[in-house]
Amino acid sequence: MKRPLARAGIVAAFVVLAGIPWIASPSIVQFGINMLLLAALAQGWNIIGGYTGYASFGNSVFYGLGSYGTAIAMLRWHLPFGIGLALGTVIAVIFAALFGRAILRLRGHYFAICTLGLAEVMTAIVSNLEITGRNTGLVLPLLRGDVLFYELSLALVVVATLIVAWIAHSRFGYGLIAIRENEEAAAAMGVDTTRYKVLAFSLSAAISALAGGIHAYWITFIDPVSAFDIGLNVKMIIVTVFGGPGSILGPVLGAFVLSGISEVLSTEISTVAGLFFGAVIVVAVVFMPRGVADLIRRFDKYRWRYFAENVRANRL
Amino acid sequence: MDLLWQGLVNGILLGGLYSLMALGLALVWGVLNIVNLAHGAFIMLGGYACYYMFSGLGIDPFIALPVTMAALFVFGYLLQRHLINLVIRAPMFNTLLLTFGIDVVLTYSAQIAFSADFRTINPSYAGAHFTWLGATIPLVRMIACAIAIALTLLLWLFLARTRLGRAIRATAQNLVAARLYGVEPRSIYALTFGIGAALAGGAGALYGVVSQLNPYIGVSLTAKSFVIAIIGGLESPLGVIAGGLILGLVESMTSLYIGATYTDVASFGILVLVLIVRPTGLFGRTT
Repeated sequence: MKRPLARAGIVAAFVVLAGIPWIASPSIVQFGINMLLLAALAQGWNIIGGYTGYASFGNSVFYGLGSYGTAIAMLRWHLPFGIGLALGTVIAVIFAALFGRAILRLRGHYFAICTLGLAEVMTAIVSNLEITGRNTGLVLPLLRGDVLFYELSLALVVVATLIVAWIAHSRFGYGLIAIRENEEAAAAMGVDTTRYKVLAFSLSAAISALAGGIHAYWITFIDPVSAFDIGLNVKMIIVTVFGGPGSILGPVLGAFVLSGISEVLSTEISTVAGLFFGAVIVVAVVFMPRGVADLIRRFDKYRWRYFAENVRANRL
Repeated sequence: MDLLWQGLVNGILLGGLYSLMALGLALVWGVLNIVNLAHGAFIMLGGYACYYMFSGLGIDPFIALPVTMAALFVFGYLLQRHLINLVIRAPMFNTLLLTFGIDVVLTYSAQIAFSADFRTINPSYAGAHFTWLGATIPLVRMIACAIAIALTLLLWLFLARTRLGRAIRATAQNLVAARLYGVEPRSIYALTFGIGAALAGGAGALYGVVSQLNPYIGVSLTAKSFVIAIIGGLESPLGVIAGGLILGLVESMTSLYIGATYTDVASFGILVLVLIVRPTGLFGRTT
């Protein structure tokens, strides 16, 4: 019964978001671009982390490859932005497919840490290559068009969310969820686990790379440390888990809420902002471990008992 | 040749401290199945506790060390008992995220309480060193390494020989079976986490003597502890010693022959290789 209403709400929210650059101040638009790119990254992470259950720390590698692919194509080969973006994405997808086959055999924490190591190694390799401008990084041509980048980021969020919505109701998605819940059982049921995992990893990589490329052209400067920043990957995870991993709108909601909170905090009370941010994460994990999406879905039924139920379900 | 020998000695001295750093992380990971992202922050807190006892009260850092460890034990015990136990049955991401949140809180609290200045625990004998077979050995590094290895061996004995140690190992192997034999997991978990925090505190005190403290050292120390725990496996403290020594030697050799900026590449490169070849760690049991 609530379905059509929910859909209308989402479309209305999208229209409002798309219209924001024409009514809001430039600083809000810039905040919006960062928020939307984070939402897209979180949605990308949601595919491999939320649906497939593989805690990837390698998505910042794909983000970096997207940034560098775009930058190198535009600077060294003088290609237009669109082609550069496509090139960066293709590189990231190939990288994900090749390494995915090797490292997706690892389970749980081991996979997480292996991808963490991969990110460190990539940073070091890129800072030693001539074509990537070594440690100093690359400066891209300046394009003044926050509105364009805003709409581009919004489009990426929409595309990523549609992909996730498709995954949630497709045979492919059910396969991924089966892998998350019990990989042996999934394989026994005839899911080609390796192919599914590599596909999910590659899809995740494509979205991260697109976000990286857009961000690189918007900010017009990239260097190895910021392009392959693990902190960004941690952010993707926090936002997704806060919003609701394995849900369609959760990562987007998480990105909006947490970006908003951290923006307000850092302008109002900067000294204790970080402290408070940490406390928000701790409280959220304890009282709403399935994220904002689950809170919204079930709060009507349980009311305030919702929080107590969560603690009871997960405590020792 | 002399350079190589000195490099080896440096690597071993560094490796001993590394293994103590990673020990608590590996213990908690193995028993509670939690990767404690706040582990590095515990090391940092231990360092500051020792620093303030030394600079404020004039207590020798090596005497302040057990006090630091006791304080961190209580802190870790309470944290596990009253906070982390609340989410222990949630999926892995949630515990990971919770410890990340704790890490953020501790780091920023430390920044507010201790300021962002670099601190070093600097006793009068800090510069003392001796020469052995042509290699220069700084006295404090030697003592730090010896204490680190002694604590690791103590933990190994504790886990292997005492009733409590057996209960901890039983919990790690099979929680349900351990419960049937009368193990109370709530307090065992808190106790294990407390021991992990105490070991981190001890490592922090030693780190403060041989290196510099600031509120932000936690993240990179957590990452290093990860690498060591992976190389050494989670089965036994002795594996962690080996992992620490390997990492110390690799870092020392890399900075000697390739360049100091490459040490992280080497250590994380080894990590990726070890994981691809032997997913349970170099010394871990194969599954």
